[in-house]
Amino acid sequence: MSATELKWENIRTSLLWIVLPLIVGILIAASVPQPVIGVIHLNDAIYSYTAQDMITQIHYAMEHPEVRAVVLAFDSPGGTVVDTEAVYLELTRLREMKPVVTAVNGMAASGAYYLSVNTDYIYAKPTSLVGNIGVIGYLPPAPFIIEDIISTGPYKLWGAPRDSDMRQIEMVKQGFFEAVTLGREGRLNAGPETIFTGQIWAGTEAVHLGIADEIGTETDAIEKAASLAKVANYEATDLYQLSVYGSGSAYPFFIQSPDGLMMPYPNEAGTYLLYIPPLPVK
Amino acid sequence: MKKNFIFIALAALILPALLRGLWFYRGVVQRPAFSTPDYESFSAPAAPFNPAPLNAEDVKQYNGVVLLDMIHGNQFSLTEIESLSGAIKQRNGQVELSSDSTMLEYQLKYASAFISISPSLMYTVDEVRILKNFADRGGRLLVFTDATRYSLYFDYVSGNPLTYGDVNAANPLLAPFGISINNDYLYNLQKNEGNFRNVYFDEFAKSELTFGLKEVALYGTHSVESPSGLILLRGTESTLSSANDANDPAQGGAAISADGNVIAFGDFTFLSSPYESYADNAALIGNLADFALSGKQKITLNNFPFLYSTKTVQVYLSSDLSKTAEMVAALGRLQAALQSMNVTVEFVDSVPTNGDAIILGLFTPNEDLAPSFNKFDLTLEDGSEFITVPGFGDIGVYGNSVLLFNATNKGNQLILLSSSIEDTILLVDTLNSGYLTGCLLQDSMAVCSSGYGGSLYEGDTIATDEASSEATPEPEVVVTPQG
Repeated sequence: MSATELKWENIRTSLLWIVLPLIVGILIAASVPQPVIGVIHLNDAIYSYTAQDMITQIHYAMEHPEVRAVVLAFDSPGGTVVDTEAVYLELTRLREMKPVVTAVNGMAASGAYYLSVNTDYIYAKPTSLVGNIGVIGYLPPAPFIIEDIISTGPYKLWGAPRDSDMRQIEMVKQGFFEAVTLGREGRLNAGPETIFTGQIWAGTEAVHLGIADEIGTETDAIEKAASLAKVANYEATDLYQLSVYGSGSAYPFFIQSPDGLMMPYPNEAGTYLLYIPPLPVK
Repeated sequence: MKKNFIFIALAALILPALLRGLWFYRGVVQRPAFSTPDYESFSAPAAPFNPAPLNAEDVKQYNGVVLLDMIHGNQFSLTEIESLSGAIKQRNGQVELSSDSTMLEYQLKYASAFISISPSLMYTVDEVRILKNFADRGGRLLVFTDATRYSLYFDYVSGNPLTYGDVNAANPLLAPFGISINNDYLYNLQKNEGNFRNVYFDEFAKSELTFGLKEVALYGTHSVESPSGLILLRGTESTLSSANDANDPAQGGAAISADGNVIAFGDFTFLSSPYESYADNAALIGNLADFALSGKQKITLNNFPFLYSTKTVQVYLSSDLSKTAEMVAALGRLQAALQSMNVTVEFVDSVPTNGDAIILGLFTPNEDLAPSFNKFDLTLEDGSEFITVPGFGDIGVYGNSVLLFNATNKGNQLILLSSSIEDTILLVDTLNSGYLTGCLLQDSMAVCSSGYGGSLYEGDTIATDEASSEATPEPEVVVTPQG
């Protein structure tokens, strides 16, 4: 074998045993996904549409292995009880698979805080509003009959007696309080007589009380989520764009005045895990 | 050699994926199971249903009238207090609305209690004085406020809402009795009746109002305090005031004044359905009805014309008063006036010693009447132009009459003394008017201008020749309207 032939033989051997496997290896390596830290934003009240959006994003995170952790970024006053509970229970399933971290941007009040306690870590900005743990409800009117409306029972029209509605609200409260107790176990620095007054705190105070873990931003939350998921060189992605975008339209949850002003009160009477800012009562 | 190539090929195959994997993934995450609330174990707190017993055998019977304030923008409906008004009726009491402030003093003359519920309009100085006098005479004053009742106003400039609680109107009324109601609400996060603002009270001051109570619940109550009186309902240490989120043992849900005639509650929702049948609230409402009806005013002439303790009044004319046609007509008008007050008149021919009575006589000393008015220390001298009335001094007999009122356990006696039949008739007609206009009043005595002086009645029973020859005497007492 001439030197030239030997040279070509070496090149062929290298191509066969090194370069070709390397190319195949690179192609295979490309199928190893870059980890994704999914971000779920909630910048609205929690009601049927927003809750469904959140659940869709949670399911996406559960079904896609490249999504290694999730950050919930809140600016929400809470919302309806049933929608909050629906998201809460789905969140539990996700959390058992992947780390979930909360970033409180503007506010995580009431129902939004209910969801926050079902995450591994809570970041808040120094003046984010956190807490408002409790239930608020509008009692139905005392039942009366209307000539032109026929119903088949005294509460068909009104739902429930006022007194029983009040007691139901107390039952809803028990679920919220236990969720907080379970979610923040060992981290609360104040007793129930403080935590469960319904007070809303600035982020700094929330950290002192142990209802949030640390002052930080959404970026900090993403890094924490990555750390908990033990990933690096990840990509942070808004899961709404991947899973929900264009899937539906929301209806206005809050009352809108005729001149377009959004009021902090829900459109419909009911029971809510909702923070309603105080009236400027003198 | 070939083996080495195989290893190299495998390494080349795996290395990129390995490097990429290590670039992204730094470990394996094991996630634990997480607990969620045990929702199925939760239950709504049960209502502490404890209705009033249906048998009314033990219910004490009264005949009192309870006035219900409707003058001061009171923020309630009658249906909300049916439990209390029902308890009052069950005790043979009567609930009467007070809807005209000019009639307040008149209505209080016969009332056993005055109830004010969540007033929004201030009591005038006059009304406070009238109600203070009422309570001082033994009438009962019950004031209920409620932390959920207030008026909303809006600032003209900013449009901001302003609240005006009922305590603003109630406190000036309660201040003379040493009671004040705070513009707050009480709450208890640890032990409550279905909601933090529904507070249980299980410490009671010893009082007829708290008799038989073990636990009552108030629903959104202001805190009440009375340094000179007693806190009737006191909560546990975990009962806090919204004003400072602290417990104050000097505050409670209700208080009673030192004289025991005035009570104030921070809530009246407990009177409404269904809360009236929770805890011992029904028993408390029964006690409130007893309290309202057992108020016994000390009856004086200030209570005129409501001076009688029974439904029958005996009327006696002394022997020196002739039953002339005019007198009979006047007595007929008296009978009609009393009947309009549901009082029956019974004319008798001897001085009544028992029961309510109206006795008419002349200033001349009379053995029949002497026992009735001896206790008043009147000095009557036959033929004298003056009589001496304690507290008034010498009163000219012409044109003046004297009313004497004697309230005893046996009955209440009203004695009318004049100088003539004509003056007596005029005095009876003054009584018939329902007002002692033109009279100077003391608790048990009054002097009334009831005639025109002696000259008009020259030759009548009292006037003598000597008296008639003189100029008409001026009345000795200046008449002032009754206030």
